[in-house]
Amino acid sequence: MPDTVLWYTTRGAGAVSLVLLSAVVVLGVMSSLRFEVPSWPRFLTTGLHRNLSLTAVVFLALHIVTAVVDPFTHLGWLAAVVPFSSYYRTFWLGLGVIAFELLIAITLTSLVRGLIGLSAWRTIHWLSYASWPIAVLHGFGTGTDTLSTWMLAIDGICIAAVAGSVAARVMFRSPDPLAADRARFRERVSRKVMK
Amino acid sequence: MTELSLFAGPPSSAGPESFRDHLKRLGPRPRGDRALIDTLDRSGLVGRGGASFPVGVKWRAVQSRSRGAAVVIANGAEGEPLSRKDRTLMALRPHLVIDGALLAADAVGASRTLLYIGEAHGAAASAIARALSERSPAELARTTLLGAPPSYVAGEETAAVNFVNSGVAAPLAIPPRPFERGVDGRPTLVQNVESLAHAALIARHGDVWFQSLGRHHAAGTILLTVSGAVAKPGVIEVASGCSVDEVLALAGGVSGKARAVLLGGYFGGWISADQAGSMVLDPKGLRAAGGSLGCGVVSVLDETADPLDVSARILQHLANESAAQCGPCFFGLRSLSAATTRIAARQADHGDLPQLHRWTAMVKGRGACRHPDGAVAFLESALKVFEPEFAAAAGARGRRAS
Repeated sequence: MPDTVLWYTTRGAGAVSLVLLSAVVVLGVMSSLRFEVPSWPRFLTTGLHRNLSLTAVVFLALHIVTAVVDPFTHLGWLAAVVPFSSYYRTFWLGLGVIAFELLIAITLTSLVRGLIGLSAWRTIHWLSYASWPIAVLHGFGTGTDTLSTWMLAIDGICIAAVAGSVAARVMFRSPDPLAADRARFRERVSRKVMK
Repeated sequence: MTELSLFAGPPSSAGPESFRDHLKRLGPRPRGDRALIDTLDRSGLVGRGGASFPVGVKWRAVQSRSRGAAVVIANGAEGEPLSRKDRTLMALRPHLVIDGALLAADAVGASRTLLYIGEAHGAAASAIARALSERSPAELARTTLLGAPPSYVAGEETAAVNFVNSGVAAPLAIPPRPFERGVDGRPTLVQNVESLAHAALIARHGDVWFQSLGRHHAAGTILLTVSGAVAKPGVIEVASGCSVDEVLALAGGVSGKARAVLLGGYFGGWISADQAGSMVLDPKGLRAAGGSLGCGVVSVLDETADPLDVSARILQHLANESAAQCGPCFFGLRSLSAATTRIAARQADHGDLPQLHRWTAMVKGRGACRHPDGAVAFLESALKVFEPEFAAAAGARGRRAS
């Protein structure tokens, strides 16, 4: 009986992670689009983006730990850390490991953004666009529930949401009001050069 | 009656005290060494720029890293719109401020001393400039006069450091704090000018003397800027530990009937008039009680003024003064200010008031500096003290529309 509990948890946590990560990507793209309406100011997007991404890490940890300790698969801890080292579904599990490790890099660099600087953080944050599709492929390839209607529906909604927001980002680039305001502020607080 | 310490000596009508009068009254500047830092510890002097941080602790943090290469910034930027005490002190007692800055430089082992004075504070800057010209060439060579831009955050300590380094007075992310890495990467002491002036007197008269100036367990005197609905607004020196009622009496009493008192300025908070009177003005005590003396602003709001309008204007000022560096501060304060302004104009959208409560929690602690935290603390105090007014105004539009 405990085996089944672990198995169900792995699947459930995987599906929840997909939903959360998709929401995180959409919110991230929304903040780069500078989306804003009066009832949803910009700082809510970034706040939710941050909180949901940390929640997703927790569900992914649950997804991975329950899969590893499940006696049925005998995956072992190495398979959870080194990509393509698993005897079981080597390729598809490897994709999951890669997606997770990219996500860890993105999360850790965000937590220490003040120390590493904005440009390094930004470069690494672009890896999100690799991490999310790899995670989706991992789900398609090895997911137990891939062909069930409800899982297909979740996949469809997540892919449509992310694809839609990325398309919006590519098509509508809005100017940054922060840049103008920052320039005005800097002008005001800068040392006057006497001529 | 308060025993004056910073403002002892000639009356304010006499203008800036000359170096000769200063020497005659107080004698030469004593030694600035590690013993002075111990004396400051015992005196209980805390910073008067707003954060009420113990002065001795700050000096020791710089001294222990200095190796003779530290930098001292005497902070007279005074960007708080309701405060006048720093510019008044500099205009009347420039030599006390300079003494304090030089003592700090000696005690922490600093090779440079910068006097960072708000460029809009003309009388203060010219008094300091003249006072410097009266000093010895050696003292003059150690000090540099620097104009601070007229913005709210220019006086924030990392902004002051950034201004010296890069010419832009915008706050920086911490760590590193200035005492670790400040001007040119050196350990830097950024200290408010009033704190430095107190230190100059403590160096002469000792910690026991400073303690004796305060009431109860509070130490020393404090400079306050009293404004709003009082008969004689202005800068006064009072014993630390006196009550708000005593302060208001010194300012000629309240004209009309008070609704609330703004304590600590734009970064402080409202206190309803019936609670404010008996409140004791002690930097450490207020801090322990969750309040703040801030930079010593006491502003009285009388009953005929609209507290929502006043609060909305202050919040809007703080939102405009955001350095536009951090999203939660820049966008958060803008949204909070817009919602507060709608409520104050009795044109609130449905949900503006609940949103104010929800959003304040999301902005706090999310900036590189404490600017958003200060603004949110101010708004929270307004929401609490003027709760009935906010509730009535937030519903006003709905009733009219129906």
